[in-house]
Amino acid sequence: MSDLLQEGLNLMLMGMGTVFVFLTVLVIGTTLMSKLVGLTTSQSDIDSKARSQSTAAREDLTELAAVAAAVKVIHER
Amino acid sequence: MEQLMLLLSQSGAANLSFGQLTMIIAGLVLIYLAISKRFEPLLLLPIGFGAILVNIPGAGMNAAPVYDAAGVMLSGGGLLYYISALGLDTGIFPLLIFLGVGAMTDFGPMLANPKTLFLGAAAQFGIFGTIIGAVWMSSMGWMDFSLTDAAAIGIIGGADGPTSIFIASQLAPHLLGAIAVAAYSYMALVPMIQPPIMKALTTKKERAITMTQLRVVSKREKIIFPLVVLALVALFLPSAAPLLGMFCLGNLMKESGVVDRLSDTAQNALMNIVTIFLGLAVGSKLSAEYFLNIETLGILVLGLVAFCIGTAFGVLMAKVMNLMSKTPINPLIGSAGVSAVPMAARVSNKVGLEANNQNFLLMHAMGPNVAGVIGSAVAAGVLLSFLG
Repeated sequence: MSDLLQEGLNLMLMGMGTVFVFLTVLVIGTTLMSKLVGLTTSQSDIDSKARSQSTAAREDLTELAAVAAAVKVIHER
Repeated sequence: MEQLMLLLSQSGAANLSFGQLTMIIAGLVLIYLAISKRFEPLLLLPIGFGAILVNIPGAGMNAAPVYDAAGVMLSGGGLLYYISALGLDTGIFPLLIFLGVGAMTDFGPMLANPKTLFLGAAAQFGIFGTIIGAVWMSSMGWMDFSLTDAAAIGIIGGADGPTSIFIASQLAPHLLGAIAVAAYSYMALVPMIQPPIMKALTTKKERAITMTQLRVVSKREKIIFPLVVLALVALFLPSAAPLLGMFCLGNLMKESGVVDRLSDTAQNALMNIVTIFLGLAVGSKLSAEYFLNIETLGILVLGLVAFCIGTAFGVLMAKVMNLMSKTPINPLIGSAGVSAVPMAARVSNKVGLEANNQNFLLMHAMGPNVAGVIGSAVAAGVLLSFLG
C-alpha cells in the first residue's frame, strides 16, 4: 500500500473519530442543557407567564368594555 | 486603416483561445442549468456569468494590479481580481454566508431529539470515503491529487456549499472552481441522487415506520444551544471556530429575538450581497488553465461518489439506531444527514410518503439535516487542523 493511501486511511480514522466524539459530546451537552433548562423553567414559571398573559387579556377586555360604555353614552346623548 | 487593423487585432474574436472559448461555453451551460433547470440558480447564475467574464480575452477582469519599481500603480487590476482576493482567498465570503445560514436555521427539531446528531455524523463518511477514493486514484496514477487536494475534494460530500468553498480556498485554491461547481450541481441533484440509494438500503416496511411526535422545545433551550456549541468548539476543536462561530452568531441573533434587525439583515440583505460576490468570485476561478484538465473530471466523479456514500451511511446509521432506540426511527431520515438543507429533508419526506401516505417525516428529517451542517463544519475543522 502506498504512503499516500496510508495517510488517507489515517485521516479517515482520525477524522471520523473526531467527528463522532465531538458530536457525542454535543449530544450529551445538549441533553444536559435541555434537562437543566427544564428544571429551572419550573411549573411556577410557566404558570406565572400564563397568569400574566391572562391578566393582560382581562385588562384588554375591561378597556374594551370602557370604550363600549363611553360610545354608548355619547350615542344616547 | 492602420487604426482599424489595430482595433481588429485587439478584438475579442481575434484573441480568443480554444480554452477560453470552451470555458465561455461552460459558463453558458451553467447559466442554462440555472435558468432552465433551476439548479441552485442563486449561485450557478453568477458563477456562470463570472466564468464568461473572466475568459473574455483582453478584458483583464481577473488581472492583478501592476506596480512599477517605485510602487506607483500602473494599472488598477480587474474587478473579479479584487472580489476574489477580498472574499474568496481570505475565506470571508463563505463565513458570511454561514452567518446568514445560522440566522435561517431552526434547531428545534434537533433539540427535541438530540440523537439525530449521530445521523449528521454518520453522513460525514461521504467526506472521508471520498478522500480515500481521491488518494487511491492518485496512487493508481490516474490523477495527481495530494492529500490536501483529496481533503478539499472530499468535503464536497458534506453537501454544504459554503463549507466546500471555505475548505477549498484554504487547502486547494487551484481546485476551487471545479469543487464549487461540483458541490452546487450535486446539491441541486439531491432529489435524483438520493432516492435510489435510500430505497435500495431499506425495506418497504422500514420506510413506512411512523415516528413519535416531537416534543415542544422552549425558547430558552434554543437560545442556549448555540452557546453550548460555541463552548464545545472552543474547548475541543478551535479550527472549526470560524465556520461554527459565525453559524452560532447568526443563530443566536435569530433565537434571542432582541436583534431582529440584524438577524433580518444577515439572512436577507447581507446574504444576498455576499452571494452575488461569492458567485462572481468562484466564476473567476473557472479559467481554462485550472479547469480544463483531467483532474476536473476526477473531481466531478468523486463528488458524486461522496454524495452517494454520505447518503448510504446516513441511512445505515439510522437503521442501526432504530434497532437500539426505544422510540422508532425511520431509516429514511438518515439520508438527510448530508446537510443540503432543506432539500435532503424534503427528499426523506417524499420517499416516506411514497411508502405510507400518512407519514410526514419532514420535521423529523430536519433534525439530522441541521445536524449535518454541524457535522460537516466539524469535519472541515478536523481537515483544517490536520492539513492546514
